[in-house]
Parts: sequence; C-alpha cells; structure tokens
Amino acid sequence: MSDFRGKRLAALQARIAALETGGRTDFGVLPFGEASLDGRLPGGGLPLGRWHEITGEGLEVETSAAPSAFTALLAAPLARRGEVVWVVRRDDLWAPGLAGLGFPAGRLIQVCARDEAEALSVMEDALSTVGVACVVGEVETVDLTAGRRLQLACERHGGTGFVIHRRPFGGTARREPAGSAAATRWRVGSAPSEPPAGEFGLGAPRFRAHLERCRGGRTGAWIVEAAGAYSRTLLEETADVAHPLRLVAELGDRQLAPASERRAA
Amino acid sequence: MRRIAAASAEAQVLRVYAGQKATDAKAIAPELVTAEAEPEADADALTALVDWCVRFSPAVAADPPDGLFLDIAGVEHLFGGEAELMAELRDRLFANGLPFRLAIADTAGAAWALAHSGKDGTIAPPRGQAPLIAPLPPAALRLDPEAAAQIERLGLRRVGQLMDIPRGPLGRRFGAHALARLDQALGRAPEALAFRRPPTPWIDRLAFFEPISAPEDMARVTEDACARLCARLEAEGRGARRFEVGFCRVDGKIAAVEVGLAAAGRDARRLARLFAPKVETVDPGFGIDAVLIAAYEVEAVAGRQVRLEAGLAPAPEDGLIPLVDRLANRLGPERVWRAAPVESHVPELSVAREAPLGAEASNAQPWDVEAPRPTRLFRRPEPLEGVIALTPDDPPSQFRWRGRTHRVRRAEGPERIGEEWWTRDIGEVSVARVRDYYRVEDQDGARFWLFRAGLYQPGEPAKWWLHGVFG
Repeated sequence: MSDFRGKRLAALQARIAALETGGRTDFGVLPFGEASLDGRLPGGGLPLGRWHEITGEGLEVETSAAPSAFTALLAAPLARRGEVVWVVRRDDLWAPGLAGLGFPAGRLIQVCARDEAEALSVMEDALSTVGVACVVGEVETVDLTAGRRLQLACERHGGTGFVIHRRPFGGTARREPAGSAAATRWRVGSAPSEPPAGEFGLGAPRFRAHLERCRGGRTGAWIVEAAGAYSRTLLEETADVAHPLRLVAELGDRQLAPASERRAA
Repeated sequence: MRRIAAASAEAQVLRVYAGQKATDAKAIAPELVTAEAEPEADADALTALVDWCVRFSPAVAADPPDGLFLDIAGVEHLFGGEAELMAELRDRLFANGLPFRLAIADTAGAAWALAHSGKDGTIAPPRGQAPLIAPLPPAALRLDPEAAAQIERLGLRRVGQLMDIPRGPLGRRFGAHALARLDQALGRAPEALAFRRPPTPWIDRLAFFEPISAPEDMARVTEDACARLCARLEAEGRGARRFEVGFCRVDGKIAAVEVGLAAAGRDARRLARLFAPKVETVDPGFGIDAVLIAAYEVEAVAGRQVRLEAGLAPAPEDGLIPLVDRLANRLGPERVWRAAPVESHVPELSVAREAPLGAEASNAQPWDVEAPRPTRLFRRPEPLEGVIALTPDDPPSQFRWRGRTHRVRRAEGPERIGEEWWTRDIGEVSVARVRDYYRVEDQDGARFWLFRAGLYQPGEPAKWWLHGVFG
C-alpha cells in the first residue's frame, strides 16, 4: 500500500516537474557527491542541459582566475562525455594550468571571439552541436534575450553552458541586467588553502563558492577544495568516479561578504 | 641610343619596326607618335591579363614580355569546343581593345610558333602540329637570337628543313638548346610551364547569358557551382579541404572567396552555407557573367552510411566537423585552436596551437600535472612594485600589483627556469635570463605565480614579475 502511494506521489511529482520546465526534456544532473551541496540543487546536482553563471569577486572580475578554475573543475566530468568549447575574448587561458587541475586539456577547443556579441553567438552555435558536452564563454553580461537563446541552444542536444562574467581590464562595471535565464548563479573566489599537517607551502586549491541564485533550489555558500589538483596519483584515482570538488566547510549565508568589504571591517 | 621597342600595326605599315633607331623611324615617318617604353608597367599588365584569363582555364602561365599560355586541356568542353573557346577569347580580347594573335596546338612550343609566325587563329588538330609549323621560320621555335641568326645564315629558312636533318648533326651544329626546342614543339620532349596558380583538375564553371548582381542570385549560383563540382567529387569518391569560388566581373576583374574545411568534404549545401557570408562581401561591380569554382587538397573520402540507430555516440561528422568549419571560416582559422604540449621548460613556449581537428598526434610529452601552473598566464609578465622579501633568496612577504597590496601568507618555491641556452650563441647566454618562480597565496587566498628575474647581484634590487594567476 505504502509502495503504491509512494509510486503515485513520485508520478505526481514528475508531472509537476514537467509542468514547471514547460515540456523541456530533462537531461539529468551532475551530482557533487556531497549531500550539503546536492540537497540545495534541484534534482540533486548541477542541472545539465541548462546554462550557469559564474562571477568573480573583487579583482577576480577582471583576471577571472578563480572562476575559470572553478568552471574547469565543474566541467571536468562533462569533458569525458564530449568536447569542451571555451570561448574567450582575451587569450590568456593556459591549458597546462587546467591540466594540473585534472581537466582533460586534449578535449578543449578554444575560440577567440572579437566582441561580446560574437562570443555569445559562438556559444550558441557550439551549444546546439552534437558531440559538444559543454561550452564555457567569457562575456561581460548576458541580457535576457541572449540568455533565453542560450537556453534554447542548450536544450537542442543537452549541452551545458557556463558563462563566466569577465570585465575587460580597467573597464568600468556595467549594470547587471535584472533577470537571467540561467539555472544557477555562482560567485566564486579563492579561499586560503591548508597544507596537510607538517608540510610547508600551499595546500590543494580552495574556493569560496556562493550559490547566489538557483532555480528550483536554495542558495548557499561553501568552501570547496580541488583535492586532487597537482598530484598525478590522486587525479588518476578520482578520474572516473568522483567529482573533482570536495566540500571543506559550509558557510552561513550571512558570513560570506565580498573580500574587500571584509577587509574594511 | 634610343630604339623602337614596339610598333603598332599602323606604324608597321609605314615600315617602322621594333629595334629600329628612334631617329631613323622619325625620319621615315615624321608624323610618328612615340611614348616611353615602360617594361614594369608592361609586366604588370601581363600579370593582370594572366589573372583575367583564369576565366578560361585555371592553368595560365605568363610568357614575358608579351605572351601567355593557357592550358585548356579538359576545360574546352565547358565552352563547347576549342573553336568556341577561341572565339569567346577573341571576342573578349577584342572588346578590351587589345591586339592579339591566337593559336591552339598540342604543345606549348607549337602553339607559340603558330601564334607568333603562323596564321592568326590556327587550331592544330591533335598530333597534327608538324605539317603546320614546317613552313614557319626557325625563329618560331623560341631559339636564342644568335642560334636563329646562324641557322638562317646557313640557308635553313623553314622549320621543316630542320626537321629533315638527322638529330645528331643538328644537335652538334646548333646546340642542345635548339634540339630541345624542336622536340618540345613537336611533343617529343616535355616542357614545364610556370603556372600562375597551382593547376587543379577539380574546377567547374558556370556562365550566364545576362550578368547578375543581386545578392540572392550570387548565393544561388554559388550553391549551383558547388553542387556541380561536388557531384563530380562524389562520383570519384573524393572530397576536398579547400574550395575557392571566383566571380568574373564584367570589367574583367575576378573577386575570389575561399573556404577551408577541417576534414575533406563534398557536401554542396554545407559548402554553400560556409560561402554565404563571404559571398555577401563580394562587390559585383557592373555585374558578374561567370562563376568559377576550384577544389584544392583533394583526397579520397569514403562514403558514409546514413545512421539508423540513434542511440550510438554521435560521430564527429555530425556535429563537430561542421562546427569547426563554421567557426574557422567565420572568425578565421587562427582564432579556433586546441592547445598542444611542446617540450619546453619555458612557460610561454610550452603550448602550441594546433588545428582543432585532424592534427597529427605529436610525440611531445604531456604537461607535467605535478608542477602547479596558473590557469591564466599573462602574455607579458607584469612588474610588481613594493616587493619586500626577507632575504634575496626568499619569496616576497608583501608586494603591490595593480594598485593593491598583497600580504603573502603562504609560499612555495623557488622553481628555477632558465632560458633554452642550447638554442642561442654561447656568447648571448646570460644568468640574467634565469627566473626563480614562486607560487604564493595572499591573505584572501588569491594565488599568484611570480618570479624574480636573474640571480642576486649585490647592490642591485631584485626585479619581480607576476606571470600568472591560479585562482
């Protein structure tokens, strides 16, 4: 009896989910393998066949180092399913650095666009291509129309998009558009690393990831670690099974303030 | 001494000829109008004419100072035959007001002889050039002036008399060059022509009764031309990596556009879509009366079965190859790349760009994942200011970059990277080109890759640079 009820409940939930997505196909999720993270995301993981926004904080809006490292770590499991197209405006993305994080650099096609509109249209073109698992684009802002177009391109073959918001060096901040068609929005910064006890130097790279917006889920803030970075044995061990990001700590929503404000305090 | 370089037909009637002294010519014909000879301008004009002739055949070779060879083997059927081709060439040259003489023969040598000394418009039948060039003077064989003069001095006035002489004595008397020229004219020896563009048998041509200029017409004829060539490629099981479409404008200029493919292909509709944005930029001028299409880098391509099972992993032909083609043709091939490892310790030399698809696998070792490398590498390292380091060999404890002070919390290093001294002269190698790299983390957790240039020199402040950021 309870089994029957459970089945009916599941069927009803599936119908509601189908109504919410507007008849969109479900392309599955990419779980982090950490209950605290996956519990906040709809379906228990990063939704695939959607696009996600990743921004930096402070100077990272211009250098975009932590956001791109974080994106490469998110995209690494996807890169095993197909090619990754990375659309840049300035070609300072460095493949050896991505390889050290465990990203399969041989799967990476880099495209250098000449302007913002071209970067978005290349992203759209790549997202709607069979055999491209994920597309990363570095653009300044995505307005509602462009975001909607990206979403439609994602839905054609289930490609996943990542938009890294990046401002040209020395440029002034543009006003962010009010709405966004993205599934999630992350604000990512570097976090101080901890070397293993008794060792000198730097530990595995850590990131402060703040899930600022999440459709059908809840926001949150965490400190995550690329546990296997710069170690051949660890990278090989975790290559097939786990997500490359490990949870270090969950932060209270209120604790996470931009680095500059915290310094002033 | 000033001499006549060339004389028009009217002047020749007045017995003015090339090579004559200018004063003599003026004396014979006082009303003679002369202009300075401009050999460079003549050469430019010949090059322009060679380019213009591409509308008849892709294989055009200039024959300075005033001639050109058209290799029409395999293209005459596009015009309806050799006579029709020659008639069209004659009409167009006449319309342009150029004086000309034409001849068609099996060999370049025979055609040259007939055009220069024979009857204008001669078409030698296949393997029938010998009787036609026999009555021509020996100079028609493109001999050195001295050899030609000597042959004429000996009373040999016709090529036919040379043909009758046994080869041995002929070669001994007049040299191997004369013998080779005779053989080339008769087709007994091959002759290499320097064609202006590499000849390809994969060409096709569409001509129109009325010139076209509307953008949609140009797009349509491009697709038609692609379809014709692709049908031929398909029939022979071949595909090409590069296609070129030339629009022959009424004013004689040719506007060419080109697309490259990541893998050899022959899909006419896909090609037409790649051509479409480039065709839009072509200026049709007063109209376009013919379209040429040529395929280069032709290679065998296996046919592909249409897939019925949808569950299988997608083949690159389905998505990736067309995507790379679209991007490379829209943005330029240098803007789409895959990073490939290069065996070099110098960071900026350790990455090469290779074509995204179809690049040969290199034997280079992959990058060492154990050596931490930044995700963003600046093209030129940026100078750091206000660097405070405990001792010259220590990583900095504080530095300023882009107007912000960073206090270093943790540091790793140094990793010493020297220049590739084996690629330089030994005298140029210097310790100043050694870099000591450190990976440092500031108070906020931002990670930087910075280096000190050169070895420590007492009394000189160390120079620090930021080369990349890890994030």
